[in-house]
Amino acid sequence: MRVGIPKGLLYCKYHPFFRTFFQNLGAEVIESEETNQEIMNLGVKVCVDEACLPVKVYHGHVATLKDQCDLLVIPRIMGIYTQEYICPKFCGLPEMVAHSIPGLPEITKVPLYMHNQKEMHKWCLATGLKITPSKEKIRNAFQHAIRAQCNLETGILEPGKKMTVMLAGHPYLINDTFLNMGIVKKLRAKDIGLVTEEFASSKACGLQLKKLIKKPFWTFHRRLYGAAAAFYEQQKVNGIIYLSSFACGLDSVIIDLIRCHVGEFPMLVLKLDEHTGEAGIDTRLEAFVDMLERREQNENYNTTFGECLYRSQNPL
Amino acid sequence: MYTLGVDVGSVSTNMVLVDYSGRVVEKHYIRTKGRPMEAVQAGFAMLREKYHDRQIMAVGATGSGRAIAAIQIGADIVKNEITAHAVASISTMPDVKTILEIGGQDSKIIIIRNGVVTDFAMNTVCAAGTGSFLDRQAERLDIPIEEFGEFALKATVPVRIAGRCAVFAESDMIHKQQLGYNTCDIIGGLCDALVRNYLSNVAKGKEILPAVIFQGGVAANRGIHRAFETALQMPITIPQHHEVMGAIGAAILAREKIQQEDRTTKFKGFSVSTSAFQSKSFICNGCTNQCEVVSVMENQKAVGFFGDRCEKWRNKVSARALN
Repeated sequence: MRVGIPKGLLYCKYHPFFRTFFQNLGAEVIESEETNQEIMNLGVKVCVDEACLPVKVYHGHVATLKDQCDLLVIPRIMGIYTQEYICPKFCGLPEMVAHSIPGLPEITKVPLYMHNQKEMHKWCLATGLKITPSKEKIRNAFQHAIRAQCNLETGILEPGKKMTVMLAGHPYLINDTFLNMGIVKKLRAKDIGLVTEEFASSKACGLQLKKLIKKPFWTFHRRLYGAAAAFYEQQKVNGIIYLSSFACGLDSVIIDLIRCHVGEFPMLVLKLDEHTGEAGIDTRLEAFVDMLERREQNENYNTTFGECLYRSQNPL
Repeated sequence: MYTLGVDVGSVSTNMVLVDYSGRVVEKHYIRTKGRPMEAVQAGFAMLREKYHDRQIMAVGATGSGRAIAAIQIGADIVKNEITAHAVASISTMPDVKTILEIGGQDSKIIIIRNGVVTDFAMNTVCAAGTGSFLDRQAERLDIPIEEFGEFALKATVPVRIAGRCAVFAESDMIHKQQLGYNTCDIIGGLCDALVRNYLSNVAKGKEILPAVIFQGGVAANRGIHRAFETALQMPITIPQHHEVMGAIGAAILAREKIQQEDRTTKFKGFSVSTSAFQSKSFICNGCTNQCEVVSVMENQKAVGFFGDRCEKWRNKVSARALN
């Protein structure tokens, strides 16, 4: 049996789990290629117009895989943290994909709760029985999968020589070098250090979240806001770069909330959509880095008289 | 000795010559018309008649076409528009705190405190609050864009037009036209719509403090100027060379760079105006990214590549340039 796993959306966070589970069941696992122009074009063509870019791209991944496998893993991920939600598009993903792409092989439809091993086992059982009748084998494969998943380390932490920025945004944008136009490489080339939300401790995040009138119930909302606020308060970063896909409903809330918290602290929001021209993103990044450098220098040139010496040293 | 600043924008290509005191001695505003290299050549042809290559001590390039222009002319510094605009504004008005800039396809707000950029924002994927939006509507109304502002000033009751989206605005405007509103009121309404969209989109959450400078090509439009003053309730200064501020910034930055590094300019000379430039695009099949690569040829020799994500092609040229 050939099992297809599309490399889109939360694949970046949970790929060891799925891959190990199916491999241990003795299935041949076929993964789609890294996102590329062809996959994006396909996705944009087949997907409903209102969806955000990562969902469209996910459709593209499915479309390239559908003729190569007997079972397609389109997980209906309901939540990844206790008593919290993720974007509703994940709950309806199997239907959404099946609606737009005709001629699919069998797809997985059972709900999957990534924060609860019992629930995850239920999913594995329901899905595994399509491959093998042995419940023992499924249990075994499940345990391997959990172990593999626990070994996965996500996030980016690269200390910079002079400055560090927080790279915020949904993981499927941060980890997809095609969608984000290689932003990590671009920032590296400018000698800017990077840190993502994964490296904010849950204690530090929790401290910031307590200040809100209400705890956010979206997991990414809680994590991204908490981490951004924590990094800001602890002065761990010189700025925040937020990657957002055009028309993301969740981002529209998170971005404004972070902005309210950090005030005049440098924050750059990059909207990603289908365009492949990099001039827009390059200009913004370059200007943002220029700004960070100048702000930094300016602070260093402040005299005790409160007068800024920066201008006289350098007329700019 | 002069420094040359070149700003290759989506709608116009601007060139300035700045003398040592920072005074603009020559400025040219050329329509880009989608052919940036030809626009630069046209500008050089004009400059060539009055100036010698030897008179140029430094060259800076900026604007959305800065990369291609830098290769074409041999720029000493290539800077983004935000930094260039900020530098030019601060040099003309040292106490500036807010810069409103509306160009052809970009609009931006730059916040300056103590002579340093502390925050900026640019329009996102939408072009509703930019010059090309006005350009398009002027064309539709059959009014030269230069007179657009005058019409707006004559408006007595500006019509309310949806400004969030250029496409919606256009259909809204057509609707109002069909209902018989007069052209001046419609144009007045368009200016208000653009300003409203700019303030709620680009300038959202930014603290706009005086002194405010308004620059970019659209600053020539007195209707927009007035709409901004009404909306913000403060006087807004339009610098004398508002349409070429980016180029002025590039020139200042170039001079500094040359002085800092104490070297001579890489300027290729005004003779570039007679070189045969060609650009050719092809799909690179090196990997599945299938980048659309553009190669720039000067007299049949490849001088630059763009659009390759992996920088494979770009590096070929820079390696050759080093040898």
